[in-house]
Amino acid sequence: MAHVTPDWFNVARLPKGFPTATRNRQQAEGGDVPADYDQFVTERLDRLLRYATALTCDKHLAQDIVQDVLLRARQKWARIGAVDAPYLYVKRMVTNEYLSWRRRRAARDVSATHVSLDELAPAVADPADRHAERDAMRARIAVLPRKQRAALVLRYYEDSTDAEIAKILGCTEGTVRSHISRALHTLRVNENTPSEVLR
Amino acid sequence: MTDTRQEALIREAIAAEADQAVDHRSVLANLHGKRSRRRPIALFAAAGLTAAAAAVAVIVPLSVDRTASAPPAGQVTPTARTVLLIGTDGAGNTDSIVLARVGDDGTTSAAWLPRDAVVDLPGVGPARLSSAYGRAVQRVGGPEGDRAGAEALTGAVESLTGVEVDHHVTLDMAGLVTLADAVGGVDVCLRRPVRDPLSGVDLPNGPVSLNGAQALAFLRQRNGLRNGDLDRIVRQQLFLRALGAKVVGGGDPARLARVVEAARSAVRTDPGWDLPEFARRLTPAVRTAIIPLGEEVAVGLEQGRAVDPAAVRAFAAEFFAEGATGTPTGGHSIPLPATETEEPGRQPSERDCVN
Repeated sequence: MAHVTPDWFNVARLPKGFPTATRNRQQAEGGDVPADYDQFVTERLDRLLRYATALTCDKHLAQDIVQDVLLRARQKWARIGAVDAPYLYVKRMVTNEYLSWRRRRAARDVSATHVSLDELAPAVADPADRHAERDAMRARIAVLPRKQRAALVLRYYEDSTDAEIAKILGCTEGTVRSHISRALHTLRVNENTPSEVLR
Repeated sequence: MTDTRQEALIREAIAAEADQAVDHRSVLANLHGKRSRRRPIALFAAAGLTAAAAAVAVIVPLSVDRTASAPPAGQVTPTARTVLLIGTDGAGNTDSIVLARVGDDGTTSAAWLPRDAVVDLPGVGPARLSSAYGRAVQRVGGPEGDRAGAEALTGAVESLTGVEVDHHVTLDMAGLVTLADAVGGVDVCLRRPVRDPLSGVDLPNGPVSLNGAQALAFLRQRNGLRNGDLDRIVRQQLFLRALGAKVVGGGDPARLARVVEAARSAVRTDPGWDLPEFARRLTPAVRTAIIPLGEEVAVGLEQGRAVDPAAVRAFAAEFFAEGATGTPTGGHSIPLPATETEEPGRQPSERDCVN
């Protein structure tokens, strides 16, 4: 297959330079699920779930998104399996799904975080302090704008390069750097704001 | 805060968020339908987490017992008490549910209820047992949310098992860190060195004393284990026993004071429960079981486990009966992994080395 048909989710928005088909596949679409799909899922599912959970700050939403994406990927595996980096590609599907998600998003996960933080806050022992500090950071990350949070997770959890992040988010590297720098600025400002709930 | 320090904190925070991810085996089962034969192990894993919760819930009263003043005169006659132990992940999600009954003689019988068990929730219909907690937390919200969650879950467990629950205890798993540190480390033994970047575990083989952070990583590791979740359960069972041994066998008053303090901050109970009174009757004798389970079923988008309420009630009645011993037929058991040298089904001891 020399060409990825732009007729389904996000393929049309693949940026120039995204690795596309270089290998020939003989899998008939709609036939049996190819073995390398199973292998891909086995190897990457845990990582994808963790990535999606870090993105959404909601493990159930993350599960829904990953399941949804992988089921769609299975139907189209002949195409996806043919790209050079299927993981990067599927990760992009997950990211887009998160960025376009409209349902189930409410303040509840953030407020739930704060409840547990309130309980952690009075602790005085060092490990607890460190935990509270980390959880405070979790809460601040959870309220960042989605694209900023996605860029942050890709850089600091997936250790992606700016170029990879740009491909996944479908923007330029300059925009990636701008997302990250704004996110870091917000996190630093909130850190020093006395009215912050945890401080 | 320096840039480097902030970045380190961001990495930690995002990794902690990612650690909240659901068990990939359950998702694999959803994706593969009935093809997965590993699903029951995921259920065992949920029960395994509860073992840690149970450890703390049993240890707290034990420690209180050691440090409390003498019982007041005219103390009420001890009666059997049924307690629901709820292990949460710190973000309002229930990871583990144990129904425990402490008899007149202080012996404890604990039945694990898989969080994926499908029950009929009032006003909701069929849903996973654990969702009773989260739904109530969402409905009520705020500082009262956790209590509402615990009470809703208590109601669901009562109607499933037919057992009346006297008290509930909620444990945040993160509290284990402080607790393991408070006892000065928990001694375990590993058969081979383990290193797993996902859980952060990095330990040599042989006997090792786990500090709090190591303990949490040790209890959480699932990837890279020969028997996956099954190994993790065995770890948690051994950790429970080792932690209990450390607390009861210590005899160091300063350390006990630290343990009580750590336990108090990790555990929430319903109001009006006199923990010291309860603690005075406890003995370390604990009998464990899992309720009878049926087939895998789909609940909405998720995978659950069917339970037959009649079978569960019959099991609970027999298991919690006064003076009962052993495990009634029908309950699930957690076997040790069958290894080269051991018989399957043997109960673990705290001196065992684990995978």
